[in-house]
Amino acid sequence: MRCSPIHVLGYLTAALALLMAAPAQASPQQTATKSTSSSVSKRDLTGVWQLQGGNGGAQPIAEDKDMPAMTPWAKVRFDAQKPGYGSRGAAGGNDPILQCDPIGFPRIMLMPTPNEIVQLPDRVLQFWEREHEWRSIWTDGRALPADPDPTWYGYAIGHWEADGTLVVESSGFIDKTWLGPTGYPHSEDMRIVERYRRVDQDTLSYDMTITDPKAYAKPVVTPHRTMKLKPNEEISEQPCVWSQENEFAQRIRNPATPKTTKQ
Amino acid sequence: MSSMKRIRANLVLTAVAALFLAAIPGASQQQPSKTAPTPKHDLTGLWHYESTGASEPIAPDNLIPPMTPWAKVRFDAERPGYGPRRTAGGNDPILQCDPIGFPRIMFLNTPFEFAQVNGRVIQFFEHEHEYRTIWVDGRPLPADADPTWYGYAIGHWEGDDTLVVESAGYNDKTWLGSTGYAHSKGMRITERYRRIDHDTILYDITIADPKAYTQPLVGPHRRMKLRPKDELIEEICVPSEEKSFAQRVADPATPKATK
Repeated sequence: MRCSPIHVLGYLTAALALLMAAPAQASPQQTATKSTSSSVSKRDLTGVWQLQGGNGGAQPIAEDKDMPAMTPWAKVRFDAQKPGYGSRGAAGGNDPILQCDPIGFPRIMLMPTPNEIVQLPDRVLQFWEREHEWRSIWTDGRALPADPDPTWYGYAIGHWEADGTLVVESSGFIDKTWLGPTGYPHSEDMRIVERYRRVDQDTLSYDMTITDPKAYAKPVVTPHRTMKLKPNEEISEQPCVWSQENEFAQRIRNPATPKTTKQ
Repeated sequence: MSSMKRIRANLVLTAVAALFLAAIPGASQQQPSKTAPTPKHDLTGLWHYESTGASEPIAPDNLIPPMTPWAKVRFDAERPGYGPRRTAGGNDPILQCDPIGFPRIMFLNTPFEFAQVNGRVIQFFEHEHEYRTIWVDGRPLPADADPTWYGYAIGHWEGDDTLVVESAGYNDKTWLGSTGYAHSKGMRITERYRRIDHDTILYDITIADPKAYTQPLVGPHRRMKLRPKDELIEEICVPSEEKSFAQRVADPATPKATK
């Protein structure tokens, strides 16, 4: 038996907040320099994967200095967001995940919890331990819907390139989520392109580009990241439980979060 | 229709249906359709209950076995928003978006989907955008599973058409259905999904939980229909939205007492 993963994470989070040293390492600890091994199955991303970097904590979508200029629309939202992390980190913030609103995509990709990829003939399934969430990446040739109902995890399609890279395009996102723990808004027009490439048996290289002209003057290009295979792991169930989270926040997180931090 | 509108519509329907909740779901007597052959060892697809259209209890009150004193204490503390004990200002955990959990998620008027791959059957639920993995690779249930909201499930096929699912490892924070009813961490569930024709699953559930009930709780026969052209939508319980909705609509609308 172990204690609730939420609480473990919470304690880690509080400890991290206290240290609040450098922001998450932007450059991945392991760069994808290995050549593609012939033993790597093409078009097979099956397995449980662990994002590298971030010192075990949630990672920002990109470092502040690498974020493109915001539009006035985005700046209003950005100024209203009071994150618990990063250069603007403060106690009593309004991060929507503090009340267990869905963390949404792409922020869920930046968490220090594993994700699993399972492939079906018509789609690639992606499961996240965090929030016990999942999405379908349709690989059956369909197009993105022209006018989707906005959702927290969007609508995703994918195709394989000749070198075995899975290219995922997604849209149809609700504009209530933050791009990462340090804030940064996006609009419902956000479109995301991700590239998953298996560089060797144990390694995925992962890149993301966010295009959202309503919010940013140029695309947000995230730092190159890698994920490592965890071959004997099963992802566990880690939902955000409001009744527990609320109790935890009042007891631990709010008192522990420093009022201001400098990077 | 947006997912939020759909949630609202479901809640309104549920509230209306609750007023007429005399109906007890049961297997109808339709003959299997002969439209397409029934696939073997295959439940793939999106399925939806032939139900009352409401959020249902695990079983009608008269089919619930006697409770132990442990369960009775919990039962008496529950204040559901549905059924003969319903009251406004209840303490149903889903009102604050705590996970609805298994098996209660099976008794909602929302579809689920089965996908089969690599030694497992994956069950996706539209409600709460949830899923569980049913391992069909021959592994046993873990001896000492960490209790979770959706448990740990294994399955095996009986004959060509029946998936038998056994599950355990549940935490004891969820209700068995919309009318309440407690269970313990010792709960074990056996389900049978029998595909009687291309378009139909017969569903049976039995809950063994000696800490809470003196006999196994046997759910009524239920029937599910294939929805070949549907796609699951995302229907997440969002605390910030649920809270404002409850204050504005749900609490004032719930009848104070009913017989």
